[in-house]
Amino acid sequence: MPDVTADVRIRPLDELDLNGIVRINEKITGAYEPDLWEQRVMFYTRRDPGASQVAEANGKVVGFMLGDCRAGEFGLEEPSGWIERFGIDPDFRGQDLGRRLFDAICAHFKAEGATSVRTLVDRNDAPVAGFLKAIGFGDSSLAALERKL
Amino acid sequence: MALKVENVELPKKYHDAVEHWHRHNFKDYDLLLKYWDKYFPKDDQFCLCAKMELGTTDVIQIGDQKGEKKRLKPEEMTPEQAGHLLAIIKAQASTEFGSIQQHAATVDRAPEDEDKFWTMRVMAEELRHGYQMLHLLLSEDWSSVSGGVTGEQMVEEILSMTTGSHVLDAFNLDYDSYTDNVVFAACIDRVGKYQLTMQKVCAYKPMADSMPPMLREEAFHLAAGVIPMRRWAQKAAKGDVFVTMKMMQHAINKWVPRGLEMFGDERGGDTNVNFGFKDMKNDEASSMYHEELRKMIRDINTRYIRARFADYSPEKTEQVLDELERSRGTHHGLAWTDLLRLPDKRFFRRKGVHAFQMVGIDGEVFADVEDWLRYLAANLNDGYIASRDMKLYAEALRAVVSGEKTPAEAIKSMPRLKRVGGTCPCSKGVRWVMEDSDGGQTTVAVR
Repeated sequence: MPDVTADVRIRPLDELDLNGIVRINEKITGAYEPDLWEQRVMFYTRRDPGASQVAEANGKVVGFMLGDCRAGEFGLEEPSGWIERFGIDPDFRGQDLGRRLFDAICAHFKAEGATSVRTLVDRNDAPVAGFLKAIGFGDSSLAALERKL
Repeated sequence: MALKVENVELPKKYHDAVEHWHRHNFKDYDLLLKYWDKYFPKDDQFCLCAKMELGTTDVIQIGDQKGEKKRLKPEEMTPEQAGHLLAIIKAQASTEFGSIQQHAATVDRAPEDEDKFWTMRVMAEELRHGYQMLHLLLSEDWSSVSGGVTGEQMVEEILSMTTGSHVLDAFNLDYDSYTDNVVFAACIDRVGKYQLTMQKVCAYKPMADSMPPMLREEAFHLAAGVIPMRRWAQKAAKGDVFVTMKMMQHAINKWVPRGLEMFGDERGGDTNVNFGFKDMKNDEASSMYHEELRKMIRDINTRYIRARFADYSPEKTEQVLDELERSRGTHHGLAWTDLLRLPDKRFFRRKGVHAFQMVGIDGEVFADVEDWLRYLAANLNDGYIASRDMKLYAEALRAVVSGEKTPAEAIKSMPRLKRVGGTCPCSKGVRWVMEDSDGGQTTVAVR
């Protein structure tokens, strides 16, 4: 059993966090997807190094939050932080790690000149929607639209 | 997106000199820019410029002058400090341009286009880092500590270096295959990350302000090494005949010892800390580097085991890896030696406290020099063991073992790879940095 009482450190993502992220995702979803996560980690590492954050306990990654700061999309000219993927090792939930990761990534976004942080959520996914609400996300005038093809 | 950064371009004749240099040493530079959006969609376009971080501290954070205002000009430092820092900047510049020359030799052998473009982006960013160091050399007058050598002469000297005449050993070794492009990025760029991180505190503010933008780019370089290695490990586990763990291990064996030596002698580093240029001494930094490599290798081995035993859980994989590391035995046909291993810190060293010791990858000690050289030959790739570098190493080692030379004397003799550096190959006698014939605008002559 992992030591869930260990001190947890929040720090920027690096390329050696891949196995930890793959493992957390596998614990949550049951899917082993190293290729997918290699692509995603490479994307965020080159797009906005220093933005994405991980939580580390006893040298192991126990949580992650991936995102970047960008402008010029969907008519949004001002820089915005975008959070796209996050996960907390189920053994380490309930320690406020999600909020700590969020605070760290937002500090980076602010330093890049962002004045808002955005994300998309499936309203049917109550745990994720609840978490996002708890850390301060509210409705936006922008709405996600889709049409079946 | 960028944090608060000021982009600075060199005076035209120097900017043109760098542009000219890349036409000879990085022929696919324009190809990279042409397809940038395909391989790096939405990323900022590449900028050949110096990037200075804004909003950094004005106060010296470490060393004898801790708490004082950071220095903005060479003459605000003692002559010893300024001379020491000048050597650091020149060495850093040499490594940046040197790595491009190394990458260029084998980048076209990349198995996939994506691999090639990743490597080319690394090369372009190294070019920018070299440009950054030239900016530091040219933006202030260093002549009081350079022995009268002008900024222009220093730039000329750096751009004239070739593989074999660079300041640090790791940049004087030819790549033997594309494996070297990848393993170099994973192992030697990692040293770069440590050096840049240590220099973030530098008491000379322009140097400190240069570090954060370079570090952000370095993060991609490390990923461009580690991720291909992870993918190769998966292929190797699945029996790909062209990709093997042995191939990667041999490259690791080639580069890790040179990486450790880039930190300088384990007994040194006090001057850098006392002068406020770095926040760690050599042994502390190189030990952290070695431990980080251990993590990298475990990461890649985990990928290998999961690919070989697809039904294993993450926990089972960790258990198997722990057991193999402990027993150095086998697990269902998988031998410890089938996995990647981190070379012992004493392995294949030619500088520092372990120079010319005969210690194997796993710490085994050799007594006979010929047995040791045969072991090395079996654990390095064929292209490398047939090299001048290995010949000189073997000569120096034999001289140490026979008592003909002390290790200190042998250290001084390594490397002796020096080749004649070059003026621009466009034409005899044409230099990289050129004044225009009209004496007004400056440019580089292409004849």
